[in-house]
Amino acid sequence: MRLALAIASFVVLIVHGVVFYNQFFHRWEQHQTAYFEQARSLSKNDAERAELEARSPRVEQTIVTSFGDTHVDRCTTCHMAADDPRFAGHAEPLKAHPYSAAMGDVQRNGRWERRHKFSDFGCTVCHGGQGRGLENVYSHGEDEFWPEPMLGYVTQATWRKDFTPHLKGKEYMEANCAQCHTAEDFAGTPHVNRGRKLFYAMNCYGCHKIDGMSEGTLGPDLTEVGHKFKIDYLWESIVEPRANLATSFMPKFNLNDADVESLVIFLKSRRGVNFAETTLDRYKAHIANVAVVIPPGTAGEKAGEQLIADRACTACHKLRDKDGGIAPDLSYEGLIRDNAWMMDHFKNPRSRVPDSIMPTFRFPEEDFTRISSYLQTLKAPPPPAATAAAAYKELCERCHGEKGDGNGKVAWYIDPSPRDFTKAGFMNSKPRDRFVASIQNGVGGTSMPPWKNVLKDEQINGVLTYVLTTFTKEPQREVKPHKVPQQNPVASNKESIARGEGIFLERCTGCHGRKADGKGPNSLDILPHPRNLRNSWFVDTVPDNRLFDSILYGVQGTAMPSWIDYGLTQENVGDLVNFIRSINPKTARSQYARN
Amino acid sequence: MSTATQEPKTKSPGMWGALRQIPADIWSSVFRNPLPSNDLERSSTSFTNFFLHIHPVKVHKNTLRPIYTLGLGLMSLFLFLILVVTGILLMFYYVPSTTQAYDRMLDLRGTVAFGIFLRNMHRWSAHGMVAMVFLHMCRVFLTGAYKKPREFNWVIGVVLLLVTLFLSFTGYLLPWDQLAFWAITVGTAIAGYAPFVGKQMQFVLLGDTTVGQEALLRFYVLHVAVLPVVLVLLIAIHFWRIRKDGGLSRPEAAPGPLVKVRMELQKKVYGLQGFVRGPFTKIGNVPDESVYSWPNLLMAELLVLVLTVSAILVVSLLFNAPLEQPVNVMHPPNPAKAPWYFLGLQEMVSYSAFWGGIGVPTIFVLLLLAAPYIDRSPKGVGKWFARERLLANTIFLTLAVVNVIFIIIGTFFRGPNWTFVSPF
Repeated sequence: MRLALAIASFVVLIVHGVVFYNQFFHRWEQHQTAYFEQARSLSKNDAERAELEARSPRVEQTIVTSFGDTHVDRCTTCHMAADDPRFAGHAEPLKAHPYSAAMGDVQRNGRWERRHKFSDFGCTVCHGGQGRGLENVYSHGEDEFWPEPMLGYVTQATWRKDFTPHLKGKEYMEANCAQCHTAEDFAGTPHVNRGRKLFYAMNCYGCHKIDGMSEGTLGPDLTEVGHKFKIDYLWESIVEPRANLATSFMPKFNLNDADVESLVIFLKSRRGVNFAETTLDRYKAHIANVAVVIPPGTAGEKAGEQLIADRACTACHKLRDKDGGIAPDLSYEGLIRDNAWMMDHFKNPRSRVPDSIMPTFRFPEEDFTRISSYLQTLKAPPPPAATAAAAYKELCERCHGEKGDGNGKVAWYIDPSPRDFTKAGFMNSKPRDRFVASIQNGVGGTSMPPWKNVLKDEQINGVLTYVLTTFTKEPQREVKPHKVPQQNPVASNKESIARGEGIFLERCTGCHGRKADGKGPNSLDILPHPRNLRNSWFVDTVPDNRLFDSILYGVQGTAMPSWIDYGLTQENVGDLVNFIRSINPKTARSQYARN
Repeated sequence: MSTATQEPKTKSPGMWGALRQIPADIWSSVFRNPLPSNDLERSSTSFTNFFLHIHPVKVHKNTLRPIYTLGLGLMSLFLFLILVVTGILLMFYYVPSTTQAYDRMLDLRGTVAFGIFLRNMHRWSAHGMVAMVFLHMCRVFLTGAYKKPREFNWVIGVVLLLVTLFLSFTGYLLPWDQLAFWAITVGTAIAGYAPFVGKQMQFVLLGDTTVGQEALLRFYVLHVAVLPVVLVLLIAIHFWRIRKDGGLSRPEAAPGPLVKVRMELQKKVYGLQGFVRGPFTKIGNVPDESVYSWPNLLMAELLVLVLTVSAILVVSLLFNAPLEQPVNVMHPPNPAKAPWYFLGLQEMVSYSAFWGGIGVPTIFVLLLLAAPYIDRSPKGVGKWFARERLLANTIFLTLAVVNVIFIIIGTFFRGPNWTFVSPF
């Protein structure tokens, strides 16, 4: 026991020794001593020499209160020579901070005077890093938990190795310059300016909000993104949108490194409230940048084509060989949609497809006209496909999927989801005419476009037969005629609608939701999702008898049950139909007010 | 020194002699006994010293068997002492303010002399104390030491464990970094699942609906004032009862001739010792298995102290206490984890909020508190894994191991969105 006691006591002694050694022999003291020595040899008069002789190492600090939270910068504890021009050629840490006319430093009587005096600005206001630290790993921000490593100089060990080479360079410091120098064309922050332009030009603003600059709601709010995230995260989020969030549907913009860098620097400068920028400044940037980039005198269609390229429409949409993989194919748009539909849809996509996720872009009206006139020129039908299978692959597969299960590459982003052809229950219980009509005329209020101008009737029939034989497989059943009225026998009046609403609230809201928008509590678990009954474009194309049939006898292959089994009478259904029609008024079609 | 206490009678010492005598006089006035050289002096040393009189004059040999106690209780005490000392030193630098706390942490790490080392010692001792108190409880249960007459001391011990956990939990918030903020957010949310009073309890604890300045101040006051006082008081009672219950538990000695202390005999005058229960009243009737506390017990305690201190010093030298980024209320880490000793709870909460966070822990604590009153058999005391206690030990070990497994899963195997990840 005595041996153990002796050993343990010895350990205690050793640790004390090490701790005291660490406490009293700092790296920064060596730096300071070295500075004093070198400065002594450089100094020309005795008084200065004597002063240096008398100095002993101590922690130096600048307390900066003018820029947001109080900064305590102890950087000059090591960087003693930062303001000593005699040390211009020395190695770090004993190197003078360079003087630069571009930074506003001026030379008076052969002596440089700084515009950004260290006593006023400290160091971390511009450089980042952790002013309070006295060891490299902390003060330079190499410590993985420090949110503000020295911009452009330090990359943290946990950052992705393939990004770190891009994340060095003093241009990153512009993000800090821009906290005060907010002028849009400020010469000192070219990367921030370029990033801001890209933010508008690449349509980032369509999905992302930056307070005062944009109102997008589809993606995360970027108002404080520079405050929340480090530059490696920003870089990663741009070049690999799904790296941090597997369900992100942000497109890959495939920017070159210089553009990504500018965007990262711009985003890093977004810290919510900064020292100088006002809301008004941001709004000015918004107004100025959403305006256009078209050379004057360009013809409408040509300008439209350029706009589609400049505005990165193909980041989501498909146009010939460019495919963003998120939104519908625009290649045959001239044959599918007319000018009025397009203009409505541009101004508010949800006015035509009520559950669309397309952002509302606030382009000037004439830009919409230009894009529309260009899209209207896309009237060339696809080369006639040799087989129905080829036609399906060319036109249908993007939504309905390779296996016809309604799970194409863009299906995830489309609401209502594309029809699943493998659900034989549904496919076999509907008359062939209805499928033909859906293909020819499209399905109103959804992403299913009318194909009648693209495909000839026999092609449509061919594709339908292909779908039914390849995906549905089971042969068409004889559809038993149901007893449903052609027209709603119950007259639409206030009482009937009120009764219908009562039944709806009692029976239907679990799936269709209290707002009848198809987003009831059960809707997430149900595929296909319940119908949005406020989608007027869809509801209006459905005749009374189909509504009666769907409610009374259910929709096979979906979760819609046969309500006749639950005691609904024809009169009840008549009231329900009147209620559904009443929330989709035919007059005053102000779809803007909906959703 | 023994000569110092003897009054010089033979000759007057004279001026010079009197002066020379002063240091010895002072010494002997402070320490009543010389370094002991015989059994009487050994007894007397323990008996007359304030700090030593907490010990009995003699202890049973079994108490000194390292394999029996493993020194776990002592280690908990010494860790607590380290925590008090380092904690008081840290209090000189800490400000419980949301705007200053984190900066103070940075200063502790960067500029304050020995700051980071103090913080490391405090942090690792706190974790160590939680672990040691838990292991001490396991030791007491597995040796059946909670049995009559030590039932209530076991209850106090369980309360001590809870207070230790709460002390550590309140300290967790003080650095005011992301780790602290979200751990306390998660921890107090678990408290919020309690029925009827959960939300109110959470509100009283936080002083707000979310973790903020009020919570920081409350946790600070609890951590530096309220809970330590409670803990010291409970420790005092815990130790006092050990003495009154006749020292540490041990296997029953071979039955010897028993003498009843007959209270009805009015003529006999009893010393205070007559009221002390347990075998020590039977001195003289049983084979004496005890040894003098000085130096046997003291040396053992000293060894445990030095071992504990050296372990904490080495760990503090090698590993820095974590300090993550400053609090960002809008940016929770994924996953946000409670302190490690509550990760078992959080893991259970991920299955069922109420049962995991409140139901099961409450049942577990109630079972622990009630254990000595449920298990009334006097058999199997003082022996590790006694055969007679197979059932009780199995139940206890199962629950303890399950808790440890949950903590391990919660700590190492849970990733973003609390999905199962492999740490390898």
